[in-house]
Amino acid sequence: MKKWLSIFFVIIILATLQLSWPAPLSFFNAKPDLLLILPLSLVFYFNFKFVLAAAILSGLLKDAFLPAGMAINALLFSVWSYLTFRLSSQISTENNYVRLCIILIIALLNNTILGMQSLSAGSYIPAGIFLRNLFISSLYTAAVSPLIFKLTKRIAA
Amino acid sequence: MFKLSRKTLINFIFIACAVFLVSLFSPFFKNSAQKTLKPQLTFIGALKRECVGIIFYHRNMVELARLGNETDNLRRKLFDLREVAQENARLKSLLGFKQKSPYRLVAARVIARSPDSWSSSVIIDKGRYSGIKRGMAVINTQGLVGRVIESADNSSKVLLINDPGQGVSSIVQRSRQEGLVSGSLGANLIMRYLPDEAQIAVGDIIITSELSQVYPKGLLVGKVVNIGKEFSGLSRYAVVKPAAQLSGIEEVLVIIP
Repeated sequence: MKKWLSIFFVIIILATLQLSWPAPLSFFNAKPDLLLILPLSLVFYFNFKFVLAAAILSGLLKDAFLPAGMAINALLFSVWSYLTFRLSSQISTENNYVRLCIILIIALLNNTILGMQSLSAGSYIPAGIFLRNLFISSLYTAAVSPLIFKLTKRIAA
Repeated sequence: MFKLSRKTLINFIFIACAVFLVSLFSPFFKNSAQKTLKPQLTFIGALKRECVGIIFYHRNMVELARLGNETDNLRRKLFDLREVAQENARLKSLLGFKQKSPYRLVAARVIARSPDSWSSSVIIDKGRYSGIKRGMAVINTQGLVGRVIESADNSSKVLLINDPGQGVSSIVQRSRQEGLVSGSLGANLIMRYLPDEAQIAVGDIIITSELSQVYPKGLLVGKVVNIGKEFSGLSRYAVVKPAAQLSGIEEVLVIIP
């Protein structure tokens, strides 16, 4: 119960941070996806059902503040959590580099899907801006992830 | 590693069902999520404003002196224009023109921005209780900002004009050439569907057209900074710099018709 509450508060804090991310820290208008990192880092310490609930809550919270009506982030976060869970047995919780690579790959995939969804909805996004959003926000997400790894490790301890 | 076992399949079905059920209740969730996060977001916004004020004290002091001079000039101009406006109203009433009713404006503060880079929206601190409804146009002192796409009790979501899903029917102020201004997630907007012979040049002012069902006619959208030819070669496009500085927007005005 205590862990549930801790994770709930962490999700609220991360959502607040992501929504009010300071403009000077947004490189080329890109900001890190803190809510994506959280369920992926929880995978290494908690059971899958707990992670799944956290992933759905994080995804829905992100969707709540997006213009799109569908809960696409809730779905994507759950899928990424599941795939990371399958991989987690082969990765050491101390190996930050591998976890960082996983976050980078997942952030790239997540951004590709969101970008494609936007394009398929008929939106016009120039190639330069598409690639900029794809790579910079994914790299930024991966760069910030060690901080959230530390936080989840502390909660799990 | 990813062999689809029975357990895996059950897990996937569990995920799909959970997400489906949750997305079914998403509108209720959205409303309560916005309500829950509003106090924190308002507090952080205020804290950020204070910090920026302290950090950029000298810059603000210089800016204040410059704005003071500008205000004096504008006040003089306003006085002259008020005379012209009164004369205009008198002449219009003499000619029997129907007077346009002035809009009611509701001032609101931006408390949150879009959580990802694929959309451009903001959350404002006024909602249904202040008379704000879906579809209302949002401006600021510089020009058009966007439109309300969702309104909760005490907050609303505004889709900015640089969102790729946004389209504003606009005209060139000088030549009355029509086109559709849409966002591209970048700093500039794109005015499309301009015929080859369109009367448009760099520096032209773009305003909203009366064809727009959402935006009142004559709102300042931006200024043309570049003109190019579409890939098909059949029409031209214009790159428009928005009048409102969308990346650092803090206060907005919602137009209540």
